[in-house]
Amino acid sequence: MSYYRGICNFCGTGCGHLLQVEGNRVRGVYPLPGHPLSRGRLCVRGWHIHELLQTEERITRPLIREGNSFRPVSYDEAIDFTASRLKTFSGSELAFLGSPRASNEENYLFGKFARAVMKSNNLSLTSDAGLEESARILLEGCGFPAMTGSLSALRQADFILVVGGDLTKQNPIIASEIHFARRSGAFVATISPRKTQMARLSQQHLRPNPGTIWLLLEALARALQTEGLVLIDNLEERVENARQYLEYLDSLDLKQASALTGVEEQEIIRLARKFYESKSAYAFYPVGIQSLDRRSISALLNLFLLAGKLDRPAGGICPVTGISNLLGSLDMGVSPAFLPGYFPADDEASWKRLEELWQVRLDRKPGKSAAACLQEDQSLKALLVVDHDEEIIRHVNRIKELEFVVYFGAYQNAFASLATVIFPRLNYIEGDGTYTNSERRVQLSQKKVEPPAGIKPMWEILSRLASALGQPWPYKSAEEIMAEISRVVPQYSGLSHEKLRASLGLRWPVDDRHPGGTEFPLAEETGRRFKFVFEGSADRRQNLHSGEAGRFPFKLVVGRSNYFWHQNSVMKRTFIPKREYNALLLLYPGGFVEVSEEDARALGLREKQPVRIVSEAAELKLATRISPDILPGMLYIPYFIEEMIPGFLHRQVSELEKNEEFFLPVRLEKVE
Amino acid sequence: MYWLPRDQVRLLVNRLAESYAVYGPRRDEVSGEVVFDRLEYLERLDLQAAIPYNPPKHALLPQYEEILKYLYQKQSRKVTIEKISKVEPKALVGLRACDLNGILCLDRFFLGQEFVDEVYLEHRQKLFIISNTCVRPFPQCFCVCTDSGPAAGEGFDLDLTLAGQGYLVQVGSMKGQKLVEELGLREAGPEAQNLREKIVAESVSSFDNFALENKAWISRATNRLTTGFIKPEVWEYIGNQCFECGACSFVCPTCSCFNVEDVNRVDGPTDRVRTWDSCSFEGYTKMAGDHNPRKPVEDRRNKRFFCKLSYSQSKKYLRPGCVGCGRCARVCPGDIGLPNVVTYIRREITGE
Repeated sequence: MSYYRGICNFCGTGCGHLLQVEGNRVRGVYPLPGHPLSRGRLCVRGWHIHELLQTEERITRPLIREGNSFRPVSYDEAIDFTASRLKTFSGSELAFLGSPRASNEENYLFGKFARAVMKSNNLSLTSDAGLEESARILLEGCGFPAMTGSLSALRQADFILVVGGDLTKQNPIIASEIHFARRSGAFVATISPRKTQMARLSQQHLRPNPGTIWLLLEALARALQTEGLVLIDNLEERVENARQYLEYLDSLDLKQASALTGVEEQEIIRLARKFYESKSAYAFYPVGIQSLDRRSISALLNLFLLAGKLDRPAGGICPVTGISNLLGSLDMGVSPAFLPGYFPADDEASWKRLEELWQVRLDRKPGKSAAACLQEDQSLKALLVVDHDEEIIRHVNRIKELEFVVYFGAYQNAFASLATVIFPRLNYIEGDGTYTNSERRVQLSQKKVEPPAGIKPMWEILSRLASALGQPWPYKSAEEIMAEISRVVPQYSGLSHEKLRASLGLRWPVDDRHPGGTEFPLAEETGRRFKFVFEGSADRRQNLHSGEAGRFPFKLVVGRSNYFWHQNSVMKRTFIPKREYNALLLLYPGGFVEVSEEDARALGLREKQPVRIVSEAAELKLATRISPDILPGMLYIPYFIEEMIPGFLHRQVSELEKNEEFFLPVRLEKVE
Repeated sequence: MYWLPRDQVRLLVNRLAESYAVYGPRRDEVSGEVVFDRLEYLERLDLQAAIPYNPPKHALLPQYEEILKYLYQKQSRKVTIEKISKVEPKALVGLRACDLNGILCLDRFFLGQEFVDEVYLEHRQKLFIISNTCVRPFPQCFCVCTDSGPAAGEGFDLDLTLAGQGYLVQVGSMKGQKLVEELGLREAGPEAQNLREKIVAESVSSFDNFALENKAWISRATNRLTTGFIKPEVWEYIGNQCFECGACSFVCPTCSCFNVEDVNRVDGPTDRVRTWDSCSFEGYTKMAGDHNPRKPVEDRRNKRFFCKLSYSQSKKYLRPGCVGCGRCARVCPGDIGLPNVVTYIRREITGE
């Protein structure tokens, strides 16, 4: 046998694949036909994961920095050295950056190491900001932190609304399911300023001006009201905050919203009607790589609550994760806001429970994300990082100042060169581990090849570090760690490797009441309550940033999803995906800005013509790329690889990271 | 024609395993799906299984294959080039007729033109092929529309047709004849040929009842594709649904496009690697100087279907480039497998 069942480790779709392994080498990949979600399909990235898994550019031995180079050392030496240095820092001097590509078992243990051993709550993920925000809003509004719908049941859907991003690029197989749903009769609508492929595959495409998606979603709710499409009579019993929310909606004038968003009133009403008439409705929005902003997520949730669409056994609100185990990493509590299992970190009861389970005293001091520590916390002295790519390079100067940096990684990359100690990591087919996709499906990825040069699993290194620091950990396998997770994370209480081995994944909550997992988490089963989530004041609508029409007439949007090929350091090690993104890079070696056909004509711009983009603070030169996909008045710069991150955007990075609703008022000048 | 009782299939396979790595269809334990795979455990061979999800192409044209190694020695300024030959003899057991026709198409591409591909040739020469008649079609099949099934006509060493408690065995080569004699199979009798024809005819007539997923009006589509009378809007409609994943090419038994990469090592030889490629990728047709004759996705789609169905291409393969296996329809995220494309072309003709 040479084809082994497994799961793809790129995006948060979690497609099933067959890895072709001969000897100890991966030779190919093929889609797994019986997988309940991917049903025998893979995207361009998934079809080439074997190229990445062949690379010899691995980290294979523990390394300790000596001056400007690294000395290969034994595991004993690396562990003793690391433990002795870690002893010298207090919890608040440390920050921990987990990896959304690492397994649940690795992330759980990494979090436990931070909290229980090092007493540090500065614990986060790379792309967590959007997902954490989404989880917080969904918990408040419907008591459930993740996708309430089912991807495997999507083809029976009646109505699907896709908000922001471009699912066809970010999570192609989920987009494919939406496409199939449409072909079997669903109404699909997309809300995005860009004309994405998802938009081309939709019956209706609403193109709000940059920065106004949230307003358009509120306008849809308002249209339900004005068109008499709401069953108001029991709304106050069903949903908390209903009276205040309705009052808030009353103040929204559809005509005004239409003018501000640039979307025709009739289009808004048409979509509201379709939504109201649907038997079941889904909404999708991206989290992770590029996230929908807080206001838009709240507005979307409120829209579903108002129409009574949320608690149906078909349909739901669906945040879509851009990286394989992003959701699982948050489930494991790799977050300053949540302890494992979404117990809020600002609640004393959460800590008491965890202390009892872990049998160790924990520090309650509120933590921050690693990025926040690097950006603003001068007391930060040491950083522990798992498999991270170049993104963090923007903090490179701050990281160089740190006293101690530990890097756990499978592949050589720029970040590793900043470390004091480097531990090699297994890649995802060299050990067992579970990964949780966007629809809460926990899947077991089994070991398929022997790691090079006796690389030890991360759980073993963390266990030995913990022991060296006075907390002997007993773990002997990833399976044992999952056994502990099932006691600590209630959503995972019914899970074990044994159970997962015989399945193609189970969706959490998996517990006594749902031993086979949960497709649609319904309120009556979970005892959840509903609440409209919004920031009370209506006048924020008046403050809509409309740009300075005179000096800076263009809205510059910086996006990541449209050309995103996952970590650059990952894609560089493939052949065909690398060629495909290089095709674009080679055409525009210095980067490009997308300009609409209309604006290009008005300004007399040709393809590839150099232009200067001028903002209040800085300016930047790029090549023109004329695109039929963007709105007049809008400019678009892809922000996806180091070479293309223009210096002047660095300063806006924290804003840009938050969401794709952010834009910068700029003007465009021809370079003669 | 010879007779192989069902319980003696094991003997045949064991005999092959002495000189070949045995490949054949097996079922995945958890998903229940059929994979055409190298069999370490010969008892996993399942001749009754449905058409495998993957074609046997990987046995002749691996997805990733080192074809040569070279080393440049800086000191002496010498280059050594070494052919990497890891080709082992393989027996493909239980090939469906469509997949066998796929191999014949690959042969014409790699061997039947001016330049003979030596690596492919070595794979091909070391192959032993046993085909297996589809006594009943599977849901996605339309080989009757592409003249490639349900039974094999040529290209096999042995050909099996299930008839009650055993298989009718047809010999297609000297190698096959030798094996049959070594195993001591008995002659199937004078009625065997008629029996096989009857079984195949029954299979053909059952397409209406069982092969329900795809209907392909191949001959009219070939006509339209060859004459170029398909409106650009049809290709745009198809192109909009293309996710550019390359799956249709990878799963196609006849697709032969490949990419060549050099994998460098810091302190060692460089491997030259051949990998599968697809005409649906923008980078595939991109040329130096930024020129791309097939930049828009619909042009690339157009190209692929031209390759599968046009008359000029069929002249090269001596048959249509599509063998009617239906795999492209199953793996396509955009639902634009070949049968659907043929349907869209037909709609344009008939105005349905």
